Amino acid sequence: MNSASIIVVIVNILLAVVLAVGTTPIMVWWERRVAGFIQDRTGPNRCNVGGFRLGGLIQSFADMLKLIFKEDFTPGHVKYKFFYTIAPAIVFFCSFLTFAVIPYADTLVIDGFSYTMQAIPTQLGIMWFLAYAGLSVYGIILGGYASENKYGLLGAVRASAQVISYEAAMGLSVISMLVTYGTIHLSDMVAFQGQLIFGFIPAWGIIIQPLAGIIFITTAFAEANRAPFDIAEGESEIVAGYHTEYSAMRFGLFQVGEYAAMSASSAIIVTLFFGGYQIPWLDTTTLQSNIYIVIGVIAVLLIAMTYCLTKWMKKNNTWDNPDDPRAKETKILTKVFWIMTAIVCTILVSFIVTGLGTNGVNIATATIQIGTFLIKFFMMSLVFIWIRWTLLRFRYDQLQMLGWKVLLPLAILNIFITATFVVVTGS
Amino acid sequence: MGVKVVPRHGASLKDKLYLPAIAGGMKTTFKHFIKNLKDTSNLRTVQYPEVQPTDITDRYRGVHRLTKREDDSEKCVACYMCATACPAECIAIEAQERTDGQDEKRPKAFSIDLLECVYCGYCVEACPCDAIRMDTGIFSLTGKTREEFVLNKEQLMANERSKDFSDD
Repeated sequence: MNSASIIVVIVNILLAVVLAVGTTPIMVWWERRVAGFIQDRTGPNRCNVGGFRLGGLIQSFADMLKLIFKEDFTPGHVKYKFFYTIAPAIVFFCSFLTFAVIPYADTLVIDGFSYTMQAIPTQLGIMWFLAYAGLSVYGIILGGYASENKYGLLGAVRASAQVISYEAAMGLSVISMLVTYGTIHLSDMVAFQGQLIFGFIPAWGIIIQPLAGIIFITTAFAEANRAPFDIAEGESEIVAGYHTEYSAMRFGLFQVGEYAAMSASSAIIVTLFFGGYQIPWLDTTTLQSNIYIVIGVIAVLLIAMTYCLTKWMKKNNTWDNPDDPRAKETKILTKVFWIMTAIVCTILVSFIVTGLGTNGVNIATATIQIGTFLIKFFMMSLVFIWIRWTLLRFRYDQLQMLGWKVLLPLAILNIFITATFVVVTGS
Repeated sequence: MGVKVVPRHGASLKDKLYLPAIAGGMKTTFKHFIKNLKDTSNLRTVQYPEVQPTDITDRYRGVHRLTKREDDSEKCVACYMCATACPAECIAIEAQERTDGQDEKRPKAFSIDLLECVYCGYCVEACPCDAIRMDTGIFSLTGKTREEFVLNKEQLMANERSKDFSDD
């Protein structure tokens, strides 16, 4: 173990932790603002620290602090206090662990040692995801059952009904992907997606296997307990479902677990169907040979993005009362963003001027790939939020109908077609 | 009257696929999102305390006021009609003999507990002298204690007809 390997391992684990847990405030913020904009409302835009609102992001931190400092209350009628306490932890833990197998970048080579860019460098890949994603539902069932509350129990029953509806279809859609890629290791799957079909179409999972893609994305929504499949929560019908009796940080853990599950589902969808860390038409070797051009393009893009952002802020991030500290936010943030952009661009240009060693090129490639993965990941999360504020909740019998009568036969048909194709063409 | 046949939806393949309808819905929400993201002035929300609503009509029932005669004394004759009509029993009147020759009675004290008031306007309807009105246009009254919400005669008389309303 040299220092480089320790740093790589720490970076990988940090990425998993930050993406699973740290993105929760950001996701909550997005959820509220996107929901607001979709419904012609503003969403949170007043909460500030010294005038800094950051577009409402501060509100998420305020809510988080509130959840932490609230009294940790256990209702007196709860008989199984152990189950009651452990349920949110199970949800959180399982959603969190799902992230461990997501590859953020291609195998990184430093000084001849190669590192798998995953938090846990295991070959289990998709099996690990299926195991932990399936397990997190038990936390929900246990929480609803241990609450000794009829709404909670109804939520738990619905969660069990839901899990038997989608898991079969989800597993079968994954099997057709396994047959296509010929591996269960997620890094190999992403490497496969770096190829081109007929020399110009990126071989992303969604292009090779559109049916499996649609089935998997649909079931992933059910797996993450998100609308239109949030029937276990069903706030308009059964109060809050499984977390009716929870408050403070126990509820917070359910909340974080839900968003971590959403993040994990986004990550696995991106990995399986949207090429993971692959940039279309730029696989790892092409990227490494053209690294300076790519860095230059990134610098130009960064300047363009900062320009657009500051222009948007000048137009939209305003405050009517000029004496309020919030009125000065845009000016200060504009300066901060331009200084940050200038520093980053200087560093990038210095890379181009002085040149990078072999290790430097590899690290830069990995960083660019991590960035690509993050962009795709956040886009997919946005789709999750977007769907939530578009579709109505399914009834749980409708979900079972959909799961067993539509998705399951389609998934089996898809496996059949895929397997026939693979056997006939031999690839 | 002929029989009107309402077409049943959901039988065609397009309806059964769900996905075209979902795509249509997502298109609608995305249009709203982009429109509002590009220019937040498109939002319907009023930034409330800084921006006050402008759509309060002349018939809006706001906080009460006691109307005045030409010499700025109260019109009220302490007949108790409003207090009798009040379903929330939030009006308390104490009567007194009036000696300035304008009338026979006047309220010595007249208070409305706005925490109990349901703003139904029955007191305005009941008043025979047009002495109580709810045309101040005040839609938001705040206070730190319960006592602050009990408006006495002086406070009620200090309220004026809203300037935004047309002259009556």
